[in-house]
Amino acid sequence: MSYMGLIYSYSDRENLRELTSNRALAALSIGGKYRIIDFVLSNFVNSGIFEVSVIARTNYHSLIEHLGSGAEWDMSRKRGGLRVLTPFANKESTDSAQIYKGSIDALANHLHSIKKSMAEYVVLTGSRILYTMDYRDMIKAHLNSGADITIAYTNQMNGTQRIPQGSPMVYLDEQKRVQSVEILDEEQSDREGSWCIDVCVIRKTLLESLIADATSHQRYDLYNDILKRLAPTLKIFGYEYCGHLLEISTISTYMEANRAMLDPEFASKVFQETVYTKVKDSVPALYGPDCYVENSMISDGCQILGTVINSVVSRGVHIDKGAVVKDSIIMQDTEIMDHAKVEHAILDKDVIVRDGREVIGHPSYPIVLPKMSIV
Amino acid sequence: MSLIKKKDMVAMLLAGGQGSRLGVLTKDVAKPAVPFGGKYRIIDFPLSNCINSDIDTIGVLTQYQPMELNAYIGNGQPWDLDRMYGGARILPPYVRGKEGEWYKGTANAIYQNIPFIEQYSPNYVIILSGDHIYKMNYRWMLDHHMKKDADCTIAVIEVPMEEANRFGVMSTNENLRITDFEEKPIKPKSNLASMGVYIFDWPTLKEYLIRDEEDPHSSKDFGKNIIPTMLADGKRLFAYKYLGYWKDVGTIESLWQANMDLLKENISLELYDPRWKIYARNGNLPPQYIGRHATMKDSHVSEGCSIEGTVENSIIFPKVTIKKGAVVKNSVVMSSTTIDENAHVNYSIIAEGVTVGDGAVIGENTNGTDAVLISVVADRVTVGSGSRVESGSVVDSNL
Repeated sequence: MSYMGLIYSYSDRENLRELTSNRALAALSIGGKYRIIDFVLSNFVNSGIFEVSVIARTNYHSLIEHLGSGAEWDMSRKRGGLRVLTPFANKESTDSAQIYKGSIDALANHLHSIKKSMAEYVVLTGSRILYTMDYRDMIKAHLNSGADITIAYTNQMNGTQRIPQGSPMVYLDEQKRVQSVEILDEEQSDREGSWCIDVCVIRKTLLESLIADATSHQRYDLYNDILKRLAPTLKIFGYEYCGHLLEISTISTYMEANRAMLDPEFASKVFQETVYTKVKDSVPALYGPDCYVENSMISDGCQILGTVINSVVSRGVHIDKGAVVKDSIIMQDTEIMDHAKVEHAILDKDVIVRDGREVIGHPSYPIVLPKMSIV
Repeated sequence: MSLIKKKDMVAMLLAGGQGSRLGVLTKDVAKPAVPFGGKYRIIDFPLSNCINSDIDTIGVLTQYQPMELNAYIGNGQPWDLDRMYGGARILPPYVRGKEGEWYKGTANAIYQNIPFIEQYSPNYVIILSGDHIYKMNYRWMLDHHMKKDADCTIAVIEVPMEEANRFGVMSTNENLRITDFEEKPIKPKSNLASMGVYIFDWPTLKEYLIRDEEDPHSSKDFGKNIIPTMLADGKRLFAYKYLGYWKDVGTIESLWQANMDLLKENISLELYDPRWKIYARNGNLPPQYIGRHATMKDSHVSEGCSIEGTVENSIIFPKVTIKKGAVVKNSVVMSSTTIDENAHVNYSIIAEGVTVGDGAVIGENTNGTDAVLISVVADRVTVGSGSRVESGSVVDSNL
């Protein structure tokens, strides 16, 4: 029995402002040294699945640069391995919504690549929700139930505050067979129905024919046009996921997700299985003579001379003497100079905050400084 | 196209040293595999120097406790040494015919691997050891070697006169041509010490290795036999002066000192230089977490650590847990060690996988003198709650 993974590296339902205007969602930095794709790929690696295709849509430059040959996820392989499926350039429009007409159309565009794989089953997942799952358990449940499609859902919030608008919800019968699928019109905090966490298992040949069929009827959305439409005819079963969950679709949920990792107990769940990422060979973090650090995650290559409180700091960041960083996320190689102040802010890669400058947002609306900005 | 592809210079890294003066730290590993500087091992320095100097063919000669070293080097990928042609190759001693043969000395180790070197028909061979912490561009040394039209070039560093008797010491004329070489002399004539880095013209070295092997009285050593014989024959031997940071970490004190040196400002061992990174095998660990009660000062801390206590002037390796109220000062704490609540560690090297129990006290400087005595706790030892370890002592079983 062999399996392949298919990952959507983007999401139609995200609003992360400047953070994803120039990069795919999956390439977004999270948890200090990681990118979202690291968590997604590590699930596959830790489940023994070494054939994974990542579907790219727009601005996949940083994604490709991060993934390289896939060697760092142990996925540089002769059999299987990592593949990035980039869109073909013969489309008339460069509007991202036009490149693929929907999640099924994205698969249809890469059908030749999917068909070429010798895998029997496909695990399909997105990049918007982070979870830790051994897919082998889900596949086993899929085989035992005799389902056509198995989709993962959760009944607990597991660390997330709200179910965002646009999330698919499933309603199951006692045998866990999906009765109906609904897409949430507005965000919801108390749950009704079960929240799909964007993972399905399906036989590859069935997926291929469903894609062909849907496309020939100009139906392009996986949840609406396959799962929802075909719930009465196909045997679609639910698979309950009970572990932790992080949802990243807005600036505030992105902040929450990073902050969640500061809780040692939560972090121990997130990092229970190895999470692989690109190696940078940086020096262990250096703490200076007058620094003060409290409840923060600090990555390799950082030089911390100032104060850092309740923050997540990525690799190679300099925080100079007298600088204060509070309740913020600081991405790779950013420099915060003498006596600068950063609060409730997200500083993207290679940002410079000069001496004495203040970058102060509000808990309800964090400031986002795009890549390479200089304050 | 010729059948034999050529490499201009091949490196041979002598990594079989036991490092007996490091005591319990080299009980289960060879000296080059001893952890250093938070995430490195000693051998990362010569390996990274090689790849940064564009030398991509390296024979790593192992002998003493090779298992951990072999696993660490693997296919050489962390140092970019996984090559189709060349790359890193582990060269253990092996059996020929009916008899097995250990490496009898540094020169014999290279002699036994002549076939390995011949595969690449190099013009030059650079001999390195896995015992020192330094950053060096071997290409610059090769340029010097070529400019001097030398048969052999030895990298040298000036050491204090009173320490010169621990090294191979040489005298040179004003052109840096070596006139005299003595291995660990009682009365050194100069303070130019050999760094154990040699570049040889390969055909010349090969000839001398074969000759030396035939000499039953030879101890098959570069410093004791090959170099003096070449000098006596009037070969052109030159010194190459190295001015940067170089440290022989052969003793507990020097290993501790070299770690502490990383915390000094303006030492020339600039680990942050993006053009000269020191590469190491990676543990895939999450970033370090600094808790609500931590106090951090003048320290290097690695990935996967969780710090709730006080860390001052110390080097902390990956996956170390330092609990609330614990105080670690002037110390080196290696991977996966746990320092429990209110324990105090000062002037110590704590090896991997150690547990220091609640309130235990290790190496607090009691005698009040300037002389620093380093305490050592060996691998996987548990120092029980409330125990006391005097400064300068070595703990190699549970307390």
